[in-house]
Amino acid sequence: MNKATKLVVSISTLFRQTRSSTFRCNPIPTIAIINSQTHLRRRESLEPNGLRFAGRVFCSESGVKRSFFKCWNCGFSSEKVAFLFCDSCRSIQPVDDSVDYFQIFGLEKKYEIDDGILEGKYKDWQKKLHPDLVHNKSKKERDYAAEQSAKVTEACRTLTKRLSRAMYIMKLNGINVNEEDTITDPALLMEIMELREAIAEANDSNELNQIRSQVQEKLKQWSDSFVKAFESQRFDEAVKCIQRMTYYERACEEIVKKL
Amino acid sequence: MMLRQTARKALLGLSSQRNFSPVSFASRLYHSNVIDHYENPRNVGSFDKNDSNVGTGLVGAPSCGDVMKLQVKIDSSGQITDARFKTFGCGSAIAASSLASEWVKGKSMEEVLTIKNSQIAKHLSLPPVKLHCSMLAEDAIRAAVEDYKNKQAEANGETVEA
Repeated sequence: MNKATKLVVSISTLFRQTRSSTFRCNPIPTIAIINSQTHLRRRESLEPNGLRFAGRVFCSESGVKRSFFKCWNCGFSSEKVAFLFCDSCRSIQPVDDSVDYFQIFGLEKKYEIDDGILEGKYKDWQKKLHPDLVHNKSKKERDYAAEQSAKVTEACRTLTKRLSRAMYIMKLNGINVNEEDTITDPALLMEIMELREAIAEANDSNELNQIRSQVQEKLKQWSDSFVKAFESQRFDEAVKCIQRMTYYERACEEIVKKL
Repeated sequence: MMLRQTARKALLGLSSQRNFSPVSFASRLYHSNVIDHYENPRNVGSFDKNDSNVGTGLVGAPSCGDVMKLQVKIDSSGQITDARFKTFGCGSAIAASSLASEWVKGKSMEEVLTIKNSQIAKHLSLPPVKLHCSMLAEDAIRAAVEDYKNKQAEANGETVEA
C-alpha cells in the first residue's frame, strides 16, 4: 500500500476512533480492563483519580472510561473490543491499538509462550486477512485487512524472538527499556568487549560456533533471570537482563555474519 | 561495495522519511566524513590500562548493543598527548569515536570536557536516528578523563598515606 493511502487510512481510522470512543489516553488501562474480565468494572468502579495498574497511575481523568466498539458496517455495538471481525456481520474492522499482541494470539500475557500455538494462530489469521485473499470485499475492507495483516505479522515477529518479547512485555507494563542510553557498568562492558574481540579474532568456523554456543547459553541463562526478575516485579533488574540479552544477540549476529 | 551502500541507504531511509527538502537525496547517504572515518579509522588500538598515565573510558549503548572504549594518555601538565579507541557498533558509532580520539589529542583535560555531542554530530552530519552515537562518544571522553582523575587521586592518596 503506498504511503499516501496509508496516511489517509490511518487518519480516517483516527477520526473514527476519536468519534466513537470517549477517552483513549493510553492502551494500558484498557488491557487491565480486559484482564479483569468483568466489563461492568469499566463503567462503575474506577477510582476517582484514575486507574491503578501495578502501582502506577496512567489516566488522570476522573469518571468512566469507556472503550466501546461500534462496527462501521452494520452498526453493531458492543463493549467487547472486537479484534479483526465484527461479531455480527463478519466485516473486517480497522486496527485497534488497544488490542495487544498477546490477545491477537490468544496467549496469556507472560514471557513463556508456546511457539506452536503462535505459528498455528498466525497462519490462521493470515488465511483470513491476507490481502490476496480478500479480493471480493470492498476497498475499505481490503485496506483494513492489509493493516490488520501487517499488525499480525508484526505481532508474530515480536513474540517469536525472546528478546523482543521481553521488551514488549516490559512496554505493556509501562517500562520503556531503551530510555537510558549510555551505560558505564565496567564488568558488563569489559565482558562484551572481550567477547566481540574474540569474535573478531576467531579464524575458523569451529571457533565461531563454539563462541556462539557459549553466547546462546548465556542468553538462555539471562532469559531465565529476566523471567524471575519480571515476575517478582524487580523491574530494574529485568531491564538489566534485557540489556545483557541485547548485547549477546548483537554478538550472535556478528558471528552469523562472519560465518 | 554496492551491497554496503544499499544497506547504508536502507539504514538511513528511516531517518530521512520526514525530510521533504530538495536535498533529501544527499541526506540519505552517510556523510563523506563518516565514510572516511569508517574506512580509515584513526587511532584504533589500546593502551595499557594499568599505566598510570592512561585514562580509560568504557561506555555502552544497550539499546543498540554498542560498546565504545576510548583511552587517553595524559602527561604531567594535564595535556592529552595521545588517544586510542576501539568501538563495536554501527558506522556512525565508529566514526564518532574515531573523531573523538582525534579531537582530544593535544588538548587539556578541561578543554576536552567541553566537547559536546552536538559538535561531533554536526561534523559527521549524523541523522537524528544516530545522534545517540555522538552522545556515546561524548560520554566516552568524559569517562576516560574521569578514570584518569580517579587514578591520580588514588595514587596521590597512597603517597600521602605512605
